[in-house]
Amino acid sequence: MASTTLTQATGAPEQTAVRASEQPGPRRRKSPRAGGHWPFFALPAVVLVAVFFALPFLLNAGFAFSDWSGFSEEIGFNGVDNFRTLIDQEIFWPAVRTTLMYAGFMLVFAIGISLSLALLLEQTTRINTIFRSLFFVPVLISPLAAGYIWKGMLASNGPINGMLSFLLPGTVDTAWLGDPTTALPAVALIEAWKWSGLITLVYIAGLKAIPKEMLEAAMIDGANAWTRFWRIRLRMLAPALTFNVAVTLAIALMAYDVIAPTTAGGPGDHTTTLNIAMRLQWGQSFFGPASALSLTVAVLIVVSAVPLVMWMRKKEVN
Amino acid sequence: MRWMLRAVITAVLLVAAAFAVTACGSSDDSSEGSSTSSSASATTGAKPGTKITLWHNSADPPALRQLYKDFEADTGIKLEAIANPSAGFEDTTLTRWASGSRPDVLEYHPTVTNLLALNPRANLRDLSGEAYIAKSGDLYRSAATVDGKTYGAVIGFPQVFGIFYNKDVFARAGIDTPPTNAAELIEACRTILARTPGVVPIAESGGSQWPVQVLPTLLMGDANPDNTWGQELRSNRAHLDDDGSPFTRAMETYKQLRDDGCFNRDAASATVENSVRGLVEGRVAMVALHSDMIAAMVAAAGGDAAKVDGSIGFFAVGGESPAATYIPSPIGSYYLPRTGDADREAAALEFIRYVTGRGYGRYIASARAFPVIEGTPEPEGVSALAREVKASYDRGPANIAYAADVPGVGGVMVLINKLLIGQVEPEQISEQTQKAVEQAAKAAKLEGW
Repeated sequence: MASTTLTQATGAPEQTAVRASEQPGPRRRKSPRAGGHWPFFALPAVVLVAVFFALPFLLNAGFAFSDWSGFSEEIGFNGVDNFRTLIDQEIFWPAVRTTLMYAGFMLVFAIGISLSLALLLEQTTRINTIFRSLFFVPVLISPLAAGYIWKGMLASNGPINGMLSFLLPGTVDTAWLGDPTTALPAVALIEAWKWSGLITLVYIAGLKAIPKEMLEAAMIDGANAWTRFWRIRLRMLAPALTFNVAVTLAIALMAYDVIAPTTAGGPGDHTTTLNIAMRLQWGQSFFGPASALSLTVAVLIVVSAVPLVMWMRKKEVN
Repeated sequence: MRWMLRAVITAVLLVAAAFAVTACGSSDDSSEGSSTSSSASATTGAKPGTKITLWHNSADPPALRQLYKDFEADTGIKLEAIANPSAGFEDTTLTRWASGSRPDVLEYHPTVTNLLALNPRANLRDLSGEAYIAKSGDLYRSAATVDGKTYGAVIGFPQVFGIFYNKDVFARAGIDTPPTNAAELIEACRTILARTPGVVPIAESGGSQWPVQVLPTLLMGDANPDNTWGQELRSNRAHLDDDGSPFTRAMETYKQLRDDGCFNRDAASATVENSVRGLVEGRVAMVALHSDMIAAMVAAAGGDAAKVDGSIGFFAVGGESPAATYIPSPIGSYYLPRTGDADREAAALEFIRYVTGRGYGRYIASARAFPVIEGTPEPEGVSALAREVKASYDRGPANIAYAADVPGVGGVMVLINKLLIGQVEPEQISEQTQKAVEQAAKAAKLEGW
């Protein structure tokens, strides 16, 4: 029964759309393919992307294979020496691993926390509106400021430990950002906190877009709350989920500004993501290796985020 | 009337001659790459009202900030001071520098290793022959000088590295004589752990990044008399990862101290401000730091310098024998980047001449710091702790830190942080740092590489 209801509900708009496209209205403009004007309209976007993204990307890609440094004016091609140096100095692979782990932690935290928040704040009531605004505030805060605030909060003698010591037996004095086990999840949690307001809003928008009739029909068919969430709402949220995963992954793979003020890559190199390693190389005037790390970030985003998003889009259609 | 005409002509000629002299001085000073020696005592041609920028260390003490204000008031030149944070000072400054941005005056490390990273030949003005250089003893033999050209001005007394200790904690632990070498330091730590429970023997500050380098640097300080070892490292005749190198031995001692529980539990993430506060309050027995941090100790004691003098002492230590290790201070060391703007370059040179000349005596008096330029009297009211540090330096042996002339050691603080949490072994630090030295030395095209 449920499937019949669903088919009817989703089928109706499609039929309407087909009919609309068949009607040759008098005011109707020519379709883009027929008119040939669309490249003109796309030009500004193409130019912007070319000048501010593609060109710097290609130039940077070149520097990754050069011996550019602050020690000399000459820049020469040096093949893959920068990558070899970074691997020799045990910087490259640990940074890649840390970046991917950071992205994993952040995806779990940001997507999980935000989805729960979205479900809690879905209804538009006065209190929910206040809370939605409150949860959005961290998005507006400078990441550096957020980092410094949390550095104080998570210090071994900071308020978080104070609260835990009050609630739990004994004294809690864990240096959350100084302990190799907790440092990476802690900074990923801060980053997730920073962005959860935005991700929550996207989820709320997605939840609001789910037709009420569909949920009512499921309820009439006897689906309980969990079934409705798992079988209908979560699946209908797929476009929002794709967007959130793509954005979160890009933020996580480019992570720098929350880590710099909190741990600066430490303890040891436990939070040294590719961009932190890049800054450390850059700060020592080794610009070639820094460019190599930067290129790695770009490649990592392309090879991980693009297939993931494509796969999720495919799932959406299905 | 003829005498009046002659007088007018003479006056005009004199004024014209004066302008010519001024113009010569100005063009000479601002010409790219030319030495200013010929005009060291001449006017810089700086114009009042010119606006110049200064990149400075956020840890500049109040007396130095006052010197900047005095310069503005006395010369009419507007100085816009832009602070680079002292935590992560090197990589913040170099990142800014690498972006192509240039100040008119740059406050930065005068050590050769740091100077090379600025590519001085291409980017900095040659200050060789300026009056202050001849008046600074042999300071510029090891500071701000590359290939015989001096690019910087140093007005601060060298940072003397050693261990600051809480006298009361030492007394309670029954340590009458401060340790002088690695073995005695390990022993002192064990004594403190046994006799003064709750007190951290040595506070480390990995969260502030640079402080973790200090103790290992001290532990190899005695291996570098006359900078011999540093020069060998720089010219590829010695290596940090050689068998039994002082570098590896220092890291091994550091590891031993870690294993003995001598450091604070949050050593990898604690800040230097917390460590200093702990020292002043008696929760910490020792902190390895440099002499410029005395001001931070006074601040931690609520501004009570007498309390710091009474409760904190200083001793020099080495791997085998005691040595005061020093490094020319980044606080009060200035370079003049080339900007291509004649007016601003003239004003920047005026800044250098002011802080090493007219303004220097007043600065020394208000900073209560030891002068490095001859002819400046030692100030009144220098703290007892600062005198103790100076006495240790004067008594000697005082060796410049190994890293002063060796490029590529900027990453060692990250590696020591890794050692603190057991992520690497001492030998790995030596090997990896040596690779970075090789990378930098080749990039800088140093002799021997």
